[in-house]
Amino acid sequence: MLFKLRVSPWVVPWLFLAPALIVFTWFKFIPIANGVLMSFHKVKFVGPDEWVGLNNFQRAFGDGALHAAIGHTFLYVIISTVIGGILAFSVALALQDQARHVRIIRTAIFIPAVTSVAILAEIWRIIFYPAATGVANSFIAIFGVPAQGWMADPDQALFVVILLEIWKTVPYNMVIFLAGLAGINRELYDAAAVDGASVWRKLWHVTLPGLIPAFSVVIMLSFIRGFRVFTEVYTTTGGGPAGRTEVIMTEIFKTGFERLDYGYASAVSFLLFAFTVLLTVVHISIKNRIDRF
Amino acid sequence: MTKFKLGLAAAAAGSLLATTAMAEDLSVWMRYGENERNVLDAVIAEFTAQTGIGVDLFLANTDFETRLARAAAGGNLPDVVVNDATIVGQLLEMGILSEIDRDSFKGADAIYDVAWESTLGPDGRHYGVPISAQAFAVFVRKDWREALGYDKPETWEDLFELARAFTEDDPNGNGKADTYGYVMPVSATRGYTSWFLSDLIWQAGGAFVEESNGTFRSTLGTQEVATAIEFGRSFICAGYAQPAAITATTGDATPVFSSGQAGIYRSGPYHNAPFSKEPGSDLIEVILPPAGPAGRGSLAEGEAAFITVTSKVPETAQTFIEFLVSESGQRLGMAEGMDSSPIVRLSVNKNVDTLAVRGDEGWATFAQQFAEAGQYFPRVPNWKPIRQVTADGFNRILADCSSDIGAALAAIDEAVNAELDRQDVLIK
Repeated sequence: MLFKLRVSPWVVPWLFLAPALIVFTWFKFIPIANGVLMSFHKVKFVGPDEWVGLNNFQRAFGDGALHAAIGHTFLYVIISTVIGGILAFSVALALQDQARHVRIIRTAIFIPAVTSVAILAEIWRIIFYPAATGVANSFIAIFGVPAQGWMADPDQALFVVILLEIWKTVPYNMVIFLAGLAGINRELYDAAAVDGASVWRKLWHVTLPGLIPAFSVVIMLSFIRGFRVFTEVYTTTGGGPAGRTEVIMTEIFKTGFERLDYGYASAVSFLLFAFTVLLTVVHISIKNRIDRF
Repeated sequence: MTKFKLGLAAAAAGSLLATTAMAEDLSVWMRYGENERNVLDAVIAEFTAQTGIGVDLFLANTDFETRLARAAAGGNLPDVVVNDATIVGQLLEMGILSEIDRDSFKGADAIYDVAWESTLGPDGRHYGVPISAQAFAVFVRKDWREALGYDKPETWEDLFELARAFTEDDPNGNGKADTYGYVMPVSATRGYTSWFLSDLIWQAGGAFVEESNGTFRSTLGTQEVATAIEFGRSFICAGYAQPAAITATTGDATPVFSSGQAGIYRSGPYHNAPFSKEPGSDLIEVILPPAGPAGRGSLAEGEAAFITVTSKVPETAQTFIEFLVSESGQRLGMAEGMDSSPIVRLSVNKNVDTLAVRGDEGWATFAQQFAEAGQYFPRVPNWKPIRQVTADGFNRILADCSSDIGAALAAIDEAVNAELDRQDVLIK
């Protein structure tokens, strides 16, 4: 070695972290801090912003359109989490085999998860085109069901978009479950078999308890993804028809980028952020309690 | 190797020079797309040849206002912005426009007064310069209409019957039920529902607001407006509009007409050029909007050029705009003899005879409509939020074939008045 650089040991990890930290500070932490500041202002585009205190936050609590969007978002999160979770779990159980054809199917199932949402949305619009000639309508016509409006029908639109979310996230969740399944001690199954346990008993007493960490990850990710949902809705229905698929993020987008009310949009974003943090804390504490058993 | 290095150095120096030159150019943002690229290049080349001033042009057709807001927030606005004239209120509210002094503007007198009016701020001063005007008319698939033996529709009843025939009577003769009548972009996104239905509202004798000395009150809760909305809804509920009309923006709707899925489309003269290519100039015709109970009024719009408050070269910016509205600028902007969509639809310059330049029947129809029945949106301080709340409300009505239109309109009335109040211009 030609020369030796003397640095105290605690500096070394920070040096390694520095590139990422600098990038994150510039592109994430500073914008977040700016956003928080904006939420207390009426943002002017030229000249200094006007301080409005808590006005923007008060407005959020009396905003009917926002409340409707929150309702839709909750529906979106709950349905997609429950159905998406159950489906992913079932698929993972069916595909935990190591045979070659199973691996091919697993790869095929994973494709929606790695495809851009914009493309998935376009596929969805084609499948659920509300004309009688649309793919979904042609299919249900085989069973004598009349053509449906799908995303053009205010009563169906939200559920069709939720279906897109499920289709997209089931493969992700499946992989998490597969990892969880692989981590379960096989001896527990053997022991259960010796005790004469049925398939259902094994599932209930061995598989499910062993998958609690996996479920926890799936639920948490699904919640966070669901509350922040934007692209899936914006690219399929744009919040319509009749505002029935408007979710929190599309509402924020409209306020911020169409009405150009940056202050209020920031305030609502901040509330959503606070809620997500709260949700995470609650989730972790529940999970810790379960883990202790 | 040395040669290669030298070459690299030269290239680097060259690009550095180019960057320096760019920095001194006039920065101009326009809300156009690739269809207008050729004509804009020609306009700018001529301007640079005449004045020696370079122009750094940025074009965006989508999210233009969002990009502008981002640029404003980042202190990075262009010198000149060209956009819909209706946006003047929003840009003023953002505080990014500087006033235009008509007296010091070269060629101000050559611009039609009605066009100048489109750039008035609520304080009665001008904050932009009109560069183009237009009114909406209706494109129809002439071959379909003639194949089915119909005359050009002149009334709402004719229009509805033609839409029915285009949907049910197989106008393209392929034996399949794969065509539709009326292309309706009525998504609430960016206010399309309101923008599209405005024609029908005026044709029925309704109005968005009434005005009294610069203050306004919503007048949407009337029988006339109800008639208009009901007429619009009847196309969707009868299945004579294209499927998914309720969530369609113009971006979704235009291909439905050009690809031959539907045969009637209300649009502006900017679609003359693209529709002449597809479906084809011999397959389409432009007709005056079919008349409703109160006539055939339709939306008049225009483009305007604005100078930003942050521009360090407002005189140069004004020189550029003076060129845009000059005779030669307007003629070039009309894409005379070029394979490009024009940026000047109907000229705002009195000395330019739009019809003589165009020599095209479709253009004549648009010009006639503008002159006889073009109607601008009301000049409230900021129209955009009102367009959005009315679009949200109208979209709700259109989405439900059995909803009570009167009750829904009363609710929209309230929302519009609340917005007018927020803008401090509600008649108390």
